[in-house]
Amino acid sequence: MVLLKTPPPHGGNLVDRVVRNPDRAKKMADGCVAFDIKPTMLDGVPIRNVYREIMSICYGFFSPVDGSMVRNEVERVLEERRLLSEWVFPYPLVFDISEEDYKSLGVGEGDRLLLRLKGQPFAVLDIDEVYKIDPVDIATRTFGTPERNPEVVKVPFDKKHPGYMIYRSMQPVVLAGKYTIVNEPKFRNPFDKFWFPPAKCREAFKEKGWRTAIAHQTRNVPHVGHEALMKNAAYTGDVEPCRGILVNAIIGAKRRGDYPDEAILEGHAAVNRFGYIKPERHMVTFTLWDMRYGNPIESLLHGIIRQNMGCTHHMFGRDHAAVGEYYDMYATQILWTKGIPSFGFEAPPNEVDYGLKIIPQNMAEFWYCPKCQEMVYSETCGHVDMKQKLSGSFIRGMVAEGIFPPNIIMRNEVYKAIVKWWKVYGYPFVNPKYLEEKDKNLEVDLPPMEVSKG
Amino acid sequence: MVHYIGLLLDDSRLEAIKGTGLEEKLTTLFGGQVKQLIMEVPEEVSKKILAEFPNARIDSRSFLEDLPVAFKRALFQEVVNKKSLGAEVIEAVFQKIDEIKDLAAKESEYIPPPDIDTSEI
Repeated sequence: MVLLKTPPPHGGNLVDRVVRNPDRAKKMADGCVAFDIKPTMLDGVPIRNVYREIMSICYGFFSPVDGSMVRNEVERVLEERRLLSEWVFPYPLVFDISEEDYKSLGVGEGDRLLLRLKGQPFAVLDIDEVYKIDPVDIATRTFGTPERNPEVVKVPFDKKHPGYMIYRSMQPVVLAGKYTIVNEPKFRNPFDKFWFPPAKCREAFKEKGWRTAIAHQTRNVPHVGHEALMKNAAYTGDVEPCRGILVNAIIGAKRRGDYPDEAILEGHAAVNRFGYIKPERHMVTFTLWDMRYGNPIESLLHGIIRQNMGCTHHMFGRDHAAVGEYYDMYATQILWTKGIPSFGFEAPPNEVDYGLKIIPQNMAEFWYCPKCQEMVYSETCGHVDMKQKLSGSFIRGMVAEGIFPPNIIMRNEVYKAIVKWWKVYGYPFVNPKYLEEKDKNLEVDLPPMEVSKG
Repeated sequence: MVHYIGLLLDDSRLEAIKGTGLEEKLTTLFGGQVKQLIMEVPEEVSKKILAEFPNARIDSRSFLEDLPVAFKRALFQEVVNKKSLGAEVIEAVFQKIDEIKDLAAKESEYIPPPDIDTSEI
């Protein structure tokens, strides 16, 4: 058997569009017309902040994408899930502004726009093209329809789907071109501890001797079922189990009732800090992204992010990155098992030209079996009629009531991470206060930077 | 049809029911690590509860779920006070329903955190 190695970045090279030399950064930003980044809003609630996309692009998470896409590239992505360079990519990524903002900025092709965040210079956008979009059309084609994508789309997307609404709520004018960060944001506590952009993450893998690593996607505080999934999925590999488990949380816009991002990160970190999976084998990181809940489409992005971070494998569960019943619950596993032709995949995304190199590990469920007296894999244990599932709502009810969950459901230290942030926000889950503070503070602060006005 | 409410018990709640005779009525899940008291709720009473708390629902096991924390806490307190899982417990809780509803209304904004040491995190 061939020993696996850390895969190359998607597209061949990691994008790094961060200017770290202050003089050079100032020169790039001086004299530019400036624009203050605004969140995409829905019913008064922020559902997306494009700063997160700019960060993930410039630090290489979305390599080989290096900016806001030109019209032809958006079309190619929507039709075939391929960039103009042929590489697989799932989502249109654009910098959208309103007609009013476009008129008042007075910029066009060939101009450089300074993007400010929290009142400070943040990045520049070198405009290659300006064009208009129909947000409803983009939203519909991004996620698919039962008619066009009958293999996996069950019902039309509507206002209840958060990702669909992100695209539907976009502004009509797109400024396309490369982004460059000119003022590196500083992550707030506790995000700073978990910030491992792909280049740094690959370095960490090298130091840890992780020739193979399996990625775990999360938006949740881990319970013991998640822990069992991570431990067992990691038994894949080559001649030995994967050497590392990379937890990569998606950090972005929140919905009421979610766990706070801080509790998610520190909850996962507690799993290794307190030895349930030893830190030599387990590492917690995050990616900035306002989740689109695109199930198979989202799984492509997850594969790209984690391949760029250096993972050889990726675990995919049932209802991966899903909300509601828009997609077949196995849509992601179908994509990675045989492909979804209507989305541009006659074969799995790691078996097509210009595809991914990461290896999927499709997983079913873990639950407690009172007969076996342990957490079991649903496809292995024969006592299915006795299963005791670790349902999210059961645990959330327990948490809300202030009941200390037993160690077999949630590790004590993981629960304490929830309570730590519960004390800060007065609530164990995302509440209006959390949403307000998240919108105001984001995950970063920007150092002061003086630039001359355009 | 009878519905049910499960009252989960942690160490402090187990301590609270010590000597009440309710220990014998404990049921367990997850290898005995999750202990709960299960109350039977006649259908007319569960209808009354559902009318008071629109987010509450009956799940596939016939358990009333997504009840406000304030309601569950008051229910447990009355179980301890009355040393019973009988109908009189819910009756007692309904005596304070306005107060509980006020607390429940605030639950989307604030739930007092448990008093546990989190300094190691």
